[in-house]
Amino acid sequence: MTTTPSDWTEKSQELSRLLSRAGLGDRAAFATLYERTSAHLFAVVLRINRDRGQAEDVLQEVYVNVWRAAQSFDAAQSQPLTWLTSIARNRAIDGLRRAQTQPQFQLSTHSDDEDGDVYDHMADPALGPLEMLRQASDARELTHCMESLSAQQRQSVALAFYDGLTHAEVASHLGQPLGTVKSWVRRALASLKSCLDGASVRDRRDTGTAG
Amino acid sequence: MDYSRPDLADRLAAEYVTGTLRGPARRRLEQLLPAHPTLRAAVKRWEAGLMPLTASVSPQAPSAEVWKRIVARIGGAAAAEAPVPSWSSSLSFWRSLSMFAGVVSLSLLVLFANPKPNQPPIVVVLSSTTAPDGAAAPATFVASISGDGRAIVTKPLMGVSVQPDRVLELWAVPGKGAPRSLGLISASGASVVSKSRLPAGTAALAVSLEPPGGSTTGSPTGPVLYVGKLVL
Repeated sequence: MTTTPSDWTEKSQELSRLLSRAGLGDRAAFATLYERTSAHLFAVVLRINRDRGQAEDVLQEVYVNVWRAAQSFDAAQSQPLTWLTSIARNRAIDGLRRAQTQPQFQLSTHSDDEDGDVYDHMADPALGPLEMLRQASDARELTHCMESLSAQQRQSVALAFYDGLTHAEVASHLGQPLGTVKSWVRRALASLKSCLDGASVRDRRDTGTAG
Repeated sequence: MDYSRPDLADRLAAEYVTGTLRGPARRRLEQLLPAHPTLRAAVKRWEAGLMPLTASVSPQAPSAEVWKRIVARIGGAAAAEAPVPSWSSSLSFWRSLSMFAGVVSLSLLVLFANPKPNQPPIVVVLSSTTAPDGAAAPATFVASISGDGRAIVTKPLMGVSVQPDRVLELWAVPGKGAPRSLGLISASGASVVSKSRLPAGTAALAVSLEPPGGSTTGSPTGPVLYVGKLVL
């Protein structure tokens, strides 16, 4: 039951409504919002911070934050899932800074012990970041844009984005010099940008919506 | 650094949203966001572009404990179970309210004026639900509520024009359940809405446009023009 990219937009009307009600102090609407979105946000947080306990603490902070900020949510400017996921990711990344335990690194060298490689420790052992990127890019414009990246660029962005790795961590994970990885990420983002910008222009033209 | 330079703002926003901007640089950017529209717009664009990538992460249910802790933090026990919204009793009201509320970012202020030792009056600012896209909703009415909820005084903050055959009605909007009428208010001067005690659990005040004499159905029938959240 993965959130498909088309759900992203389909769900948004309902979630916008729940968020607006939560912004007016409607706890029942907030509870429904939690029910509909917490498993997605928790999964996103858990990718970045694999300690379940810490990830649950982060999730708690996220929703307390959402409750307080719900009235500032502007459906004209953001999709609700985008807004919620951004809050969750930012909290998760901030949490990494505080929690000194970042298990992803000592594991990145494919140690021989029975723990196996890094992905055995992930919340979602079935899928590595690249595989997820491939699945996510089933969305029309993303597919197209992801294809424009080199394999190395894609992998660097996937590791940084899904797993919350820093440039240095991505470099160490891929066994590449830091400068090289930085430039892969930078170039990947630059081509994604021009590609997504082009796609959103096309999208507007197709659907006739005004942004 | 000149954060208003679009190319620089865009690069920083990209690294911020991807998550590779870390440490002091990340914190600095977060502090700059409120004051730098170019940077903020760039972050919004990148979030819109990249967040759908998370759609492929398989959902993971958090333990039930998390929701209990959230409820404890936001100060309510009522919503701990059965998260079923029961606001639908006045559908047209909610439809219009949520439609507007989604578009307008409500600028709501709650001021604790005149801090007496107990039960200070609460001032709720009601803002227009019909501000143009992106514009801040103008504060239109102010309602001061005595601490015990027995007396409510409303005053328009700016000229409010109402067609001669329409009146304004004030509603208490509970966190759960149907809104309750608090009476008619004047568009031009102060109105005192007394005797009708503010229902416990009122989450917001709203003003709707009604036929002379007010709504006869017990629920708002006209569009909701102004709304303000009550924070205790």
